[in-house]
Amino acid sequence: MFRRNALFIVLILILFGLALWTVLPLDANRFGREGMRLGLDLIGGVHLVYETDFPADATGEEKARDMQRARMIIERRIDKYGVTEPVIQTQGTERIIVKLPGFTDVEAAKNLVAQTGFLEFRTVERNSEGGAVYLSNYLDSSGNDFFDKSEQGNRIFVDSTGSPLVFLTKDEEGLKFTDESGNPIDTGALPAEARGSLSWIAARGTDGTQLTGDFLDNAAPVVSQEVTGAEYQVSIEWDSQGRDVFDQIADYLYHSAEYGSPLRALGIFLDDSLISSPQILQPAYRGQAVITGDFTPSEVEDLANLLKSGALPMPLKKQPFYQGKVAGTLGADFINRSITAGIIGIILVMLFMIAYYRLSGFLASLALIFYGVLVLAIFKLIPVTLTLAGLGGFILSIGMAVDANVLIFERMKEELRMGRTLGAAIESGFNRAWSAIRDSNVTTFIVCAILYWVGNSIVAGEPVMGFALTLFIGVAVSMFTAIVVTRTLLRILAHTGLSRKTALFSSYRRKK
Amino acid sequence: MFDVINKRFWFFLISGLIILIGIISLATFGLKLSIEFSSGSRLRLTFDEQQVTQEQLQQEMANLGYPEAIIETELLATGQGDFFIRTRELFENEKDEIEAGLEAKFGKVTEQEFGHVSPEAATETTRSAAIAIAVAAIGILLYVTWAFRRMPKPFHYGTCAIIALIHDTLVALGIFSLLGGFLNWQIDLMFITGILAVIGYSVNNTVVIFDRIRENLLLNTSADFEITVNNSLVETLGRSLNTSLTTLVVVLALFLFVGVSIQNFVVVLIIGIIAGTFSSICIAPSLLVVWDKGEWDKFTRWLPLPRSKA
Repeated sequence: MFRRNALFIVLILILFGLALWTVLPLDANRFGREGMRLGLDLIGGVHLVYETDFPADATGEEKARDMQRARMIIERRIDKYGVTEPVIQTQGTERIIVKLPGFTDVEAAKNLVAQTGFLEFRTVERNSEGGAVYLSNYLDSSGNDFFDKSEQGNRIFVDSTGSPLVFLTKDEEGLKFTDESGNPIDTGALPAEARGSLSWIAARGTDGTQLTGDFLDNAAPVVSQEVTGAEYQVSIEWDSQGRDVFDQIADYLYHSAEYGSPLRALGIFLDDSLISSPQILQPAYRGQAVITGDFTPSEVEDLANLLKSGALPMPLKKQPFYQGKVAGTLGADFINRSITAGIIGIILVMLFMIAYYRLSGFLASLALIFYGVLVLAIFKLIPVTLTLAGLGGFILSIGMAVDANVLIFERMKEELRMGRTLGAAIESGFNRAWSAIRDSNVTTFIVCAILYWVGNSIVAGEPVMGFALTLFIGVAVSMFTAIVVTRTLLRILAHTGLSRKTALFSSYRRKK
Repeated sequence: MFDVINKRFWFFLISGLIILIGIISLATFGLKLSIEFSSGSRLRLTFDEQQVTQEQLQQEMANLGYPEAIIETELLATGQGDFFIRTRELFENEKDEIEAGLEAKFGKVTEQEFGHVSPEAATETTRSAAIAIAVAAIGILLYVTWAFRRMPKPFHYGTCAIIALIHDTLVALGIFSLLGGFLNWQIDLMFITGILAVIGYSVNNTVVIFDRIRENLLLNTSADFEITVNNSLVETLGRSLNTSLTTLVVVLALFLFVGVSIQNFVVVLIIGIIAGTFSSICIAPSLLVVWDKGEWDKFTRWLPLPRSKA
């Protein structure tokens, strides 16, 4: 019996040593973990939740596949920015969650995530006489069909900055002028200069394939030295199919229009905005091209990155479903104050336990220190993402951690009162308190499980999940420390001379 | 030995009155919901150049076209104020306009936080929170009924434990409604987390007492159920009070040292621990006895003319 206890105590000490080494210092690298993982509410950062805009006929399987692709594409885009431990998750079949710790530029983050990155090439629509079609032609015409009937896709009209102004589509009822999101617009309210904007239609190869960013092999930022100064461009490389389609379009434009005519321009559209419309200078490009425009160095960098990471398989709804930004200033201060509160809480609980339960209270205090260190070590190793509520949950669990000890000690006192020896009182105290410890903790586990599940299913549930996890770990470890650590310490004590002085174990005095 | 159960009607009366006040407050003030539940935008700003009062800010927000903006302030250790501005759902350009407008009036503004919750997200969060509390209650009811399956009426134990936790939730909601009415405190995710923690905590306490009742019934210590319940209660009283005390001590430490960021959470815990201790000692076991004896009409007869001796 004594030998088994000695073995236990050695194991407990080893575990304690390991846990202490893991935890201290807090930011040390242990078992491949460096420091505690802190939630967004502590270190600051951006939290975005977007909903996808799938076409109505998308099947569940397609959605699931596209969601995974979208996640990987967004990951690639964010990787370029050197954010440490970004979290990109899909939630359900239509939601994408992005958490960027330490990143505080919401606008940049939103662009990074939400920009679909859909690159397409367009040419100017021609009427039956071969002339360019303008918005005014459509507004003035009484017909209810496109001028170029061979192309039934939408027409985009842009303003002088290249932003889309009007979309023209056709359905069973005829032509329809809409805005970006497909809502009908009042063409009478358009500014006068809008009438002069060109009608851009999809650029297609001879077999009807539309030229899009899908055929890109590579994109890289380049600087070209022009007479007017350095010009920032993005050089692109087509794959074999893209090369053929591109050359068919270039050949057609080169031979069918004069240099300088809008009909010879190739419109480069990114997410429905015209970024530039260079003239075609040669009938064939053999797979190489550059995107020129009025770019700054960082813009070409971003554009190349966007083109390389690829287009999102589906657009995202414009206004984020949820958006949060937290300044990082709260974190350090909050953690320090939590540590103070935790230490003061532990000391008060220890004082209370020692005053009330004497020597056993002292042993429970040792177990409580063990508890604190072990829990922190587990937090660091899993790692548990610590949030405001999570830290609160941990400190709360300190108060609850002694509960199992209290249950056992109260039982022991009753047994001692009945005149049992200390050894017998310890064993029967533990045995008889067990059902209460088990049943009461299982209810807490049920609540933790539900909290975790709820936190996982709502958009800003990180704090809820953090709390559930810390409370769960806390209660589980407290059962372990009360049942293994305190019991072993008490058993060892029962073999020493102290065991006969029952006054050391209870403030209760036996009536003579 | 104390006779706690003997005072059972008094406990019902006390709890009933507290809950009644809460319900009146809920009917009058309702609950102030945070944007997680009501949707909208929340902006946290600090003014770096000059001291701005809440009234000035409210006035300027009205000038900018947001008279309905709810403004709260939190004094930082530096003496500088932090302002929380809640509005309807803002688009990015509207937020920029507000910041530019405030900057023009009050000098440099630093944006500490900007949160935005769409109406769909808010509806979903509200639904999830309600489901969470309901599922937690059902889970506990099933577990407690199962744990006491060898008792004569296992369902009574589960139901009484649930009534005790509904009691604690109502008390916390009532007090928060008052806090919302007078001090503009909001119900946020931290509050819901706190409520669920309280639910777990309260049931934990109740189960310990029920466990002792179970043990004493199996040992057949007394033929009278009321006496058995009361003995069990008194035997576990030391434990109940000690655990509540140690938990309360650390939560108070949290309250005093950590401050406003998790204020809601901590205050719910304090209310919940006190209400939970009361309900597990005074309400849940009393309900068991009243239900067992079928004393409901005795309680209603007792009510109009309360006497000091039951």
